[in-house]
Amino acid sequence: MNAPAHPSRTLSYAEALREAMALALESDPNVVLMGEDIGVYGGAFQVTGDLIDRFGPDRVMDTPISELGGAGVAVGAALTGLRPIYEFQFSDFAALAMEQIVNQAAKMRFMLGGEASVPLVFRMPSGSGTGAAAQHSQSFEAWFGHVPGLKVVQPSTPYDAKGLLLAALADPDPVIIFEHKLLYKMKGDVPAGHYTIPIGKAEIRREGTDITIIAGAIMVHRALEAAETLAADGISAEVIDLRSVRPIDSATIIASVCKTGRALCVFEGVRTLGLGAEISALIAESDAFDYLEAPIMRLGGAEAPIPYNPDLERAAVPQVDGIERAVRKLVGGEV
Amino acid sequence: MPTEVILPKVDMDMTAGTLSVWHVAEGDFVAKGAPLFDIETDKAAMEVESPASGHVHNMVAPGQSVAVGAPVAWIYAKDEPVTAPPASAARADGVGTAPSIVPPRPAAPQPAAPQEVHHDPRQRATPAARRLARETGVDLRHVAGSGPKGRVQRADIDNRAHGQPQHGAAQLPSGWSVQPGDLHLTRRAGRDTAPLFLIHGFAADSTGWAPLERALPKDQPLLRLDLPGHGKSPRRSLRSFAELARAVVAAFDASGADQVHLVGHSLGGALALALADIRPRKILSLTLIAPSGLGPEIDAPVLNGIARASRVESLLPWLRRLTADPDRLGEDYARAALRGRLDPQLRAAQLDLATALFPDDVQAFDLTAALRRVTARTAIIWGRADRIIPWRHALAARGDMALHLLPECGHIPHIDTPETVAGILARQMA
Repeated sequence: MNAPAHPSRTLSYAEALREAMALALESDPNVVLMGEDIGVYGGAFQVTGDLIDRFGPDRVMDTPISELGGAGVAVGAALTGLRPIYEFQFSDFAALAMEQIVNQAAKMRFMLGGEASVPLVFRMPSGSGTGAAAQHSQSFEAWFGHVPGLKVVQPSTPYDAKGLLLAALADPDPVIIFEHKLLYKMKGDVPAGHYTIPIGKAEIRREGTDITIIAGAIMVHRALEAAETLAADGISAEVIDLRSVRPIDSATIIASVCKTGRALCVFEGVRTLGLGAEISALIAESDAFDYLEAPIMRLGGAEAPIPYNPDLERAAVPQVDGIERAVRKLVGGEV
Repeated sequence: MPTEVILPKVDMDMTAGTLSVWHVAEGDFVAKGAPLFDIETDKAAMEVESPASGHVHNMVAPGQSVAVGAPVAWIYAKDEPVTAPPASAARADGVGTAPSIVPPRPAAPQPAAPQEVHHDPRQRATPAARRLARETGVDLRHVAGSGPKGRVQRADIDNRAHGQPQHGAAQLPSGWSVQPGDLHLTRRAGRDTAPLFLIHGFAADSTGWAPLERALPKDQPLLRLDLPGHGKSPRRSLRSFAELARAVVAAFDASGADQVHLVGHSLGGALALALADIRPRKILSLTLIAPSGLGPEIDAPVLNGIARASRVESLLPWLRRLTADPDRLGEDYARAALRGRLDPQLRAAQLDLATALFPDDVQAFDLTAALRRVTARTAIIWGRADRIIPWRHALAARGDMALHLLPECGHIPHIDTPETVAGILARQMA
């Protein structure tokens, strides 16, 4: 990480993202923003905000309501020298643009023998908790994490949101940044000026000795809240913020599990075939296996589309009490 | 179409259980409602009745863990051709793996219980425990697992490798060997009525019932069991409460007793409860005297102290903790108690048993679920001055069970006040 030389201010997660984009637009004439309603309207979640006023419609472009078309234009622009940031209104709509993301952006460098690259960033507001129901609440990190040629990050703090977006922009290959919708209003210290957070590096948010909780995005905060309660009962949980889904920071995870002997994976995406499964397997295949004191456990999204009913929506993804219960089971020797 | 027999869910959190013993052999006829097999979970053990009448085939081998809802056998009508097991009709929850099926074989008597000396070579252990066992040269098969389903945890190996510092390893007798043979059972004949079946507590033996026997009617028939490694019973390697309970059930079955009034004290109380859970039809009434298994607390140093003591001077102070009135127990009593404990191997075996049953000074087995299931008339007797197990554990009782909380009485009411206990037993047997 480049040590930020500027003083910190308190910004929201959305403001931190906007600041990163503004810095990029200022410093690199090749950077352009594209997306539906990101101009005058300021974006579905007001992340681009007033950038159109500052940089004009040539740099901040409203694209038609066609994710496939918009993403295709972005891929083409990246191939021919620009550094586009394409915003999906909801990550769910990336399903419409799968061809461009998976078959074009991710493959181009390899199929052209390294002669070309696709330096673009897809911004994807994701996750549940906003009452937006089944088609606007999904968590697709594992989907895109499954595709070689893509990089996938999911910042959990304003500081990381800015640093990871700037790192994504500096990357020569397509990077998807999942922005959790419930985090947009979260405040935190964010240094002014340019800094990056290396893609592929997890962060230990809390140190502990009894169990390692590996989490991403909003789940990091739920895990930290659970860890606080558990600490009062003498259970010391280490919380790892995965931050980067592809590439995954296996070294940090393995070292931590070697220390604690227990692992709990907490992700919002559907549990089956999800991030928790991947991390469980990488632990089981690693040196950490010999240090395990209990089965590796996963918490994740339910086997159901995200419901509209708020109680059901809450029940469909891991919550603080569920994390706490799982840790007590693992540490208490119940499983 | 044969009837599928599945492993039932007998406990709320249960996802799998161990089929410990079959009551029938391959091909035997079984009547609907007759006992078919015993299952054990990490919390309980119980007898399962046959869901249909017919001949039993395609039985799962005993001793293996089976997921709830998975088939364990099929019951065929009289002339129905026996084929490979049909595909399971329904899996309750998709948990676990399908059990392996033993091929049909000639009818042979099933062993009543696995011999404790035959350890399962595939001992459950965490990866961390296995690594530590490798590094320290500990044989996992000889370690009592304190984890779920008897799984060996890293701490179990630590204890084994470094002795039991919390119990003062210095005075430990060195090693002991397993003995063959059945558990020792003594009988007192009497009038033609159901006998009392008595199970003593940890580090005691069946002679400890003598004061109570004197208070009972002279013609009351009795059966007294010596637990493994206690009294005149052989020493066995027991790694868990479940194994101990299995040994007691096997001894009960071997006694040929039809129906009994069951009495257990302390550890024997927990075992009586397990026995009542597994053989409910054989138990006319259940009387638990300061039973273990109803809560975690126990004064384990007392148990270890008694088990370890080799002299009157070291035994007496611990024995005095058992009673509400320490002056009642003098050196004569301690000398008599010590006579049954002269064999150092017996003391070592009992210490190992204490480690398996009370790791870290905690009662590692929980029979509250079994207590809720008891069908026989049940009474719990507890001394309000019990210093070994808190009498408040009695509050786990169901509302329809009788609680006798005796004031000025310690952990051994049947010795402190045998007349009171005999009176309660008379009502239990009425």
